[in-house]
Amino acid sequence: MSNFVQRFTQSRVWRSFFRHGWPDNPLDRSLVMTTNIFFHLHPVKVSRKSLKATYSLGLGVISLITFLVLSITGLLLMFYYVPTVERAYSNIVTLQTMVPFGQLLRNMHRWSAHLMVLVVVLHMARVFYTGAYKPPREFNWVLGVVLLLLTLGASFTGYLLPWDQLAFWAITVGTSVAAYEPLMGSTIKTFLLGGPEVGQEALTRFYALHVMLIPLGIALVTSIHIWRVRKDGGLAANQAPEEKP
Amino acid sequence: MKENPLTYAPFSESSKKTYTLVELVKGSPTVMTDHGPEDTVFAFPVVALIEILLSLGVGLLLLFMSLSVNAPLEEIANPNQTTDPAKAPWYFMGLQEMLEHGHPTLMAVALPSIMVLFVLAIPYLDNSPKGAGKWFTTTRGRQITRNTALYALLAMPLFILMDNFFPPRELLRGIVPDFVAQIVIPVIVLGIIVLLPLVILLRTKPTAREIVLVVFTMLFVSAVVFTITGFFFRGPGFELYLPWNMPGGYSPFQNL
Repeated sequence: MSNFVQRFTQSRVWRSFFRHGWPDNPLDRSLVMTTNIFFHLHPVKVSRKSLKATYSLGLGVISLITFLVLSITGLLLMFYYVPTVERAYSNIVTLQTMVPFGQLLRNMHRWSAHLMVLVVVLHMARVFYTGAYKPPREFNWVLGVVLLLLTLGASFTGYLLPWDQLAFWAITVGTSVAAYEPLMGSTIKTFLLGGPEVGQEALTRFYALHVMLIPLGIALVTSIHIWRVRKDGGLAANQAPEEKP
Repeated sequence: MKENPLTYAPFSESSKKTYTLVELVKGSPTVMTDHGPEDTVFAFPVVALIEILLSLGVGLLLLFMSLSVNAPLEEIANPNQTTDPAKAPWYFMGLQEMLEHGHPTLMAVALPSIMVLFVLAIPYLDNSPKGAGKWFTTTRGRQITRNTALYALLAMPLFILMDNFFPPRELLRGIVPDFVAQIVIPVIVLGIIVLLPLVILLRTKPTAREIVLVVFTMLFVSAVVFTITGFFFRGPGFELYLPWNMPGGYSPFQNL
């Protein structure tokens, strides 16, 4: 077996894919992290304290997972959805009744979206209550708040797209709140909706925000957020004083 | 010409002396005196496995949820027919509930903005690196958080009920200007409720960490209470009902 693994990982094909051998020794386990674009956000070594489940509850990772689920299901939904007042609703009905697994696809997207908002809020609470915002992690906390607002924006803009009564009136109520801002209120509302009330212009704008601008923003800020976790010395659990036995 | 070696004492070029005192530096020692032995593991494969397991868990949970409950889809949007109640998405129900208790500019713009600014400012208000990485930092921090949370869980529903059944803007209509009934009174009442635990805490010489613990807990629990009230307890006409006893067959879950 080990002979086979050795021959396999020394083959020219493997070597062209990966610049490390089979990761069963410290050197190759380090190289996995440093030579792979998906792994390089991780440190080579992590402290056992930061891996404790009761410390982080895995909420940051779960937020990212829901975001990935949303990206995949969202991309698939885009194949069936046209953001026009005439077609949006019937597209959703068609998706649910005619497209194989269409209802499941939409359900997955909807429930992941709710889960993501919930988990991101819980993640913020976890970071606050463990004091993980303290120096040198102040700026990463600020990025986290930005990500929370982007998450709310992504969910809110997506809420309009089915173009049913629920969507229409939720966005009407939600955007009317913006109009109460004393100086710029009506300007902000008109800017969001592209007109005095929710219509085709609003649907176009919410669609563009929902499938492009906000997800790109989330992807970008999340990358910085995770990168900074590493740069600031991993999870704050590493800074915790030693437990006295 | 031979110079007196004593004048060069600290900077001697003598071959016998290879070290010299240049400066005294304050700071932590370069050796990690306070730390135990490094307790680390290779991130591969441990962290990778944890991430795969979490992905499987979340994926299965979502799949199970999606197989058992369908996403809601009502009639096609009709601008001429208002739904009753007309509710924002659940995470904005706290805001919509706030609107019931005062002037919209105060409740939906000023107070939420102050909350977001406070949350952004937390690491700059409490900027000591001490106590990071530990839940509630100290036992006292844990007690403070628990007491504040319990207080908020009691005070905020009470405020919502009182304000709902004795609304100052209705009872004082024509007696005092709207400005007083809708802005001054809610600011004073909410101000007292929210700041009371902080005032009590300030008498015990708290640390910055304890102050932000109280304020954040107060705001966070209040936001949760308002969101739950708006989502579960508001029915037709945006009136208060028990969630399982809504008139007209309305269920709060329709609005997910």
